[in-house]
Amino acid sequence: MTLLTATGITKKFGTKTAVKQIDLTVQTGQLVAFLGPNGAGKSTTINLLTGTIAPTAGTIKMAGLRPDNRQYQKQIGVVFQKSVLDNQLTVWQNLKSRADMYQGVTLTPESELITAFGLTSILKQTYGTLSGGQRRRVDIARALIHQPKLLFLDEPSTGLDIQTRTVIWQTLNQLRQQQGLTIILTTHYLEEAAEADFVYVIDHGQIIAADTVEQLQATYAQSQLMIETDYPEVVLAQLAPEWRVLQTNHQLQIALPDDQQAIALLTKVQSVITHFKFRQGNMDDIFMALTGKEIR
Amino acid sequence: MMALVKRHLALYFGNKSGVFFSLLGALIAFVLYLVFLKHNMLASWSQLAAPQKLLDPWLIGGTLAVTAVTTTANGLNQMIVDRESGTLADLALTDMSFIGIQFSYLVSTVIIGTLMQLVMFAAMVGYFSLTDQFVLSLAAIVPVMGIMLLSSIVWTTFNVLILSFVTNLDSLGKIGTILGTSAGFFAGVYLPIGAVPVAAQNLMKITPFPYNAAIYRQILMADQLKTTFKQVPQLRHQFEQTLGIGIQLQHLTSWQANTLILAGFSVVFGALTLVFAKSSRRKAINKV
Repeated sequence: MTLLTATGITKKFGTKTAVKQIDLTVQTGQLVAFLGPNGAGKSTTINLLTGTIAPTAGTIKMAGLRPDNRQYQKQIGVVFQKSVLDNQLTVWQNLKSRADMYQGVTLTPESELITAFGLTSILKQTYGTLSGGQRRRVDIARALIHQPKLLFLDEPSTGLDIQTRTVIWQTLNQLRQQQGLTIILTTHYLEEAAEADFVYVIDHGQIIAADTVEQLQATYAQSQLMIETDYPEVVLAQLAPEWRVLQTNHQLQIALPDDQQAIALLTKVQSVITHFKFRQGNMDDIFMALTGKEIR
Repeated sequence: MMALVKRHLALYFGNKSGVFFSLLGALIAFVLYLVFLKHNMLASWSQLAAPQKLLDPWLIGGTLAVTAVTTTANGLNQMIVDRESGTLADLALTDMSFIGIQFSYLVSTVIIGTLMQLVMFAAMVGYFSLTDQFVLSLAAIVPVMGIMLLSSIVWTTFNVLILSFVTNLDSLGKIGTILGTSAGFFAGVYLPIGAVPVAAQNLMKITPFPYNAAIYRQILMADQLKTTFKQVPQLRHQFEQTLGIGIQLQHLTSWQANTLILAGFSVVFGALTLVFAKSSRRKAINKV
């Protein structure tokens, strides 16, 4: 079921176009990633979708509602890139003050939200004294305080260690399974994007690719097989014509669609090869293929 | 709305050094007077019996006006801080309207201004009752508290207007310094209004400062003025005019006139803020 659609959204700041003609569709329950280098227009896109800024052109709709509608706002939660809670107040004061600003939301120290994110033990602690990971958990709890259908995460794990990242994703995945929460996130971590159901690759304010991770991989990130051999001509004779090959003396670097084909090839030329290496295509290759540069 | 007001108050009063620094302008005025000016002022009114009985409440009045300005300016800082830090964008996602959020800053600032004036008032009355046996008339307490509220409202609207033009914390600090330094002069605390050139007097009169100080003085000095000038009523008008206990427009302003003038200033500041609000709202949102 389609939850959110954006058609032809463009945002100009003065003469600079931050986002150009973006179309996107988000299905209920999906995890959608916006992948792109810094300054690509990811955050601007998020701000447009959350209604924080108005587009110069184009429309955004969720169940027929536009972002500046109160009902639209009620259905979204946002975890901002920069922390927006008060450093001087305790975790409880922060969460309670936000909860009280919503109609029909009651928060108690025993609320499920607080226990699910493991905040019980730090409720009385001052927000500013928390570790980066604890803070992120509080931020996400705040964004989910009114039980939104759609959660936006703007660079959620920048600067976090791997353990914290894992804990946060465990909790989010649990919420996706239990409550069918839809998540849109921006990231420049390729591993994070690899978890997504659907990826939009954004560069220079435009969508340059939009597909599932598998499809992107198949199209842009072929697996690489490196073979060392004294008889390169024997190996070359076995290759399919569409495979790209890079030859240096006794080394061949072959790009092929999947591991099955690699196994088949290796079996055929087993007797003539001295050494081989195999690497599956990853998001890095996708990004390189699309933008011609490494992710910044 | 109450939740947000509570948050602003918790942030303001939780920052102890911030609270102290917002009183600094008023404290400096008070201490400078005691150290440098009191002796001279007493000498120049030595023809009156017990001049300190008039000058102590006179100083209290001026200092309260300064307190109202500096503490409301500090209280409103949160508005700019929230805009800068992106917290405003987060608050705007809740069920509160943008107007409601802005209003919450005003309400908390008026509360802060009133409470801080009360603190300064208690401190100064305490000090003078110990050193000069100053006695506060009970009848003055309720009207003084009313004026505290009125001054808070006037200076909150004044500061909101100023802040419509401020987009970053750096200029906010600079404006605070300018305001704190000049307030003592504009309110006629360092130098009585009658002791400065006419041009300066006219400049003071187009601001709410002298009226604010005057109305406090009128209430706090009422009884003592009657007592002191019983014998020499011909001196009273000149005394009031020189010390800014009424402000010379066509006549010396009465306390009723001062109240109206202050309320008028507040309305004008409020209206001007609304005129400029449109552009600053866009700025506020786009900041994110």
